[in-house]
Amino acid sequence: MKPSAETPGPLPAPEADEPAIGLYGVVKLYGRHRALDGIDLEVRRGEKIVICGPSGSGKSTLIRCINALERRDGGRIRVNGIDLTAEEGTVQDIRQEVGMVFQHFNLFPHLTALENCMLAPRLNRGLGKEQAERLAMRHLERVHLADHAGKYPARLSGGQQQRVAIARALCMEPRILLFDEPTSALDPEMVNEVLGVIEELAATGVTMVCVTHEMGFARRVADRCVFMDRGAIVEQGPAQDFFANPRSERLRGFLAQILR
Amino acid sequence: MSALPVDLDLAWRSLPELLAGLRVTVLITVLPLMFGLALAFPICFARMAERRWQSLPAEIFVVFFRGAPLLILLYVVYYGFGQIALLREGPLWLLFGSPFGCVIVALTLNHAAYMTEVLRGSLLAVPSGIVEASEALGISRRHIFIWVKMPLAIRYGLKAYQNEVVSFVKGTAIVSVVTITDLTAVANGIFEQTYDPFTPILCAAALYWAFINLLRIGFELWGRWLARHQREEDSPRTAEAPGRFGLRRLSRLAKAML
Repeated sequence: MKPSAETPGPLPAPEADEPAIGLYGVVKLYGRHRALDGIDLEVRRGEKIVICGPSGSGKSTLIRCINALERRDGGRIRVNGIDLTAEEGTVQDIRQEVGMVFQHFNLFPHLTALENCMLAPRLNRGLGKEQAERLAMRHLERVHLADHAGKYPARLSGGQQQRVAIARALCMEPRILLFDEPTSALDPEMVNEVLGVIEELAATGVTMVCVTHEMGFARRVADRCVFMDRGAIVEQGPAQDFFANPRSERLRGFLAQILR
Repeated sequence: MSALPVDLDLAWRSLPELLAGLRVTVLITVLPLMFGLALAFPICFARMAERRWQSLPAEIFVVFFRGAPLLILLYVVYYGFGQIALLREGPLWLLFGSPFGCVIVALTLNHAAYMTEVLRGSLLAVPSGIVEASEALGISRRHIFIWVKMPLAIRYGLKAYQNEVVSFVKGTAIVSVVTITDLTAVANGIFEQTYDPFTPILCAAALYWAFINLLRIGFELWGRWLARHQREEDSPRTAEAPGRFGLRRLSRLAKAML
């Protein structure tokens, strides 16, 4: 698949009311441990979702199943109108639509910030060097790092590295962005610069699923908060209700822990 | 004879012969290094395959050729393969019929076995998170290998590769047993003609040393170029005057190399 730079690529035109992401009874096993125990979740187009929960509750596994970094053991996953099957083709199609940002940045250490952003557009979309460079610069500007384009990751702070990682994901012009604890590995003083960039992105109408414990961020950005525990969705609701009137005992306990 | 055990006159006279020997040594180093490396890739892929029927033969290859003493391997290829009538009459005899061909084959097999493990170790050292990030970007497996895994694996494996190359060069000294006149064989010949036990051997040692250190400097420069992403940037505060800058840099380079 090598669509041009301008059009996002040939897609089965999705229905207007088709959810951006649909998870139906998704199960993931690690040996006998049920990391995901029948997850049902629909994410509307443009919706911002924050997923929280204690460690080991399956949050990361859940979003990693969406772009098939983890293969599910049961249930159905549908992304932007594409059914995720074991076939390599559908996996690649979905990954073109879904950008991901990791806890530990995972930048390519041997490439500069600019080259980090250029690699995927050049390889996947066959962009020429200049075209890719323009695209990469545009997104580095969006994360306020145009001045650092020529630097290698080792020369950048954690916050800057994570912003490069965001720009790198944006360069594929995805309709959906997944964030896997994007600020958990950062020093406290760098958390806000990264959250700020994510908030700016949220305002653009892209669909977002973010695993985070930054509750202030969740209140400001999320349309819906989802609380997971032991591989299941325990409670979900609009951000305001979620924090003000938690219904389940487990969520109350969790909020008391992290808001202490 | 001077105080030195080296007869300088003899050394000078035998230099052309020694250099011819060195040329052979370089040839039987470079060719097996190239072929061995090329062979190591497919063997390494097989070795890392999940399917047992793919990885097992590769594992056996590595265990066998790493374990087999080079000298005996050389004997087997040189004397043993000639016993196989089928081989003697086939087109491969062009290769196995000449001692040079046998040496290249034996050294290549030996080097490939070692390189398979060097390569495997380097590829396994690539952080899985970086590979996942590439997958998440929708980059194909082939491209991930070429643009992400290999460039990093080369950086992780360069030191191990350098070690392997250096010990390989010294290992080539045994090829005289199958009539190849490499540097060691030339030195031995001069010793047998002159009964000077020191001069030819020490001269040969000096040439080996020079060759190995040339390789080392090559690796050093390559490693530096590869490690450019970790290098401190020259900040304006530490910038020096242009004239002295060159000298300082040269002396820094020399220091780092010694």
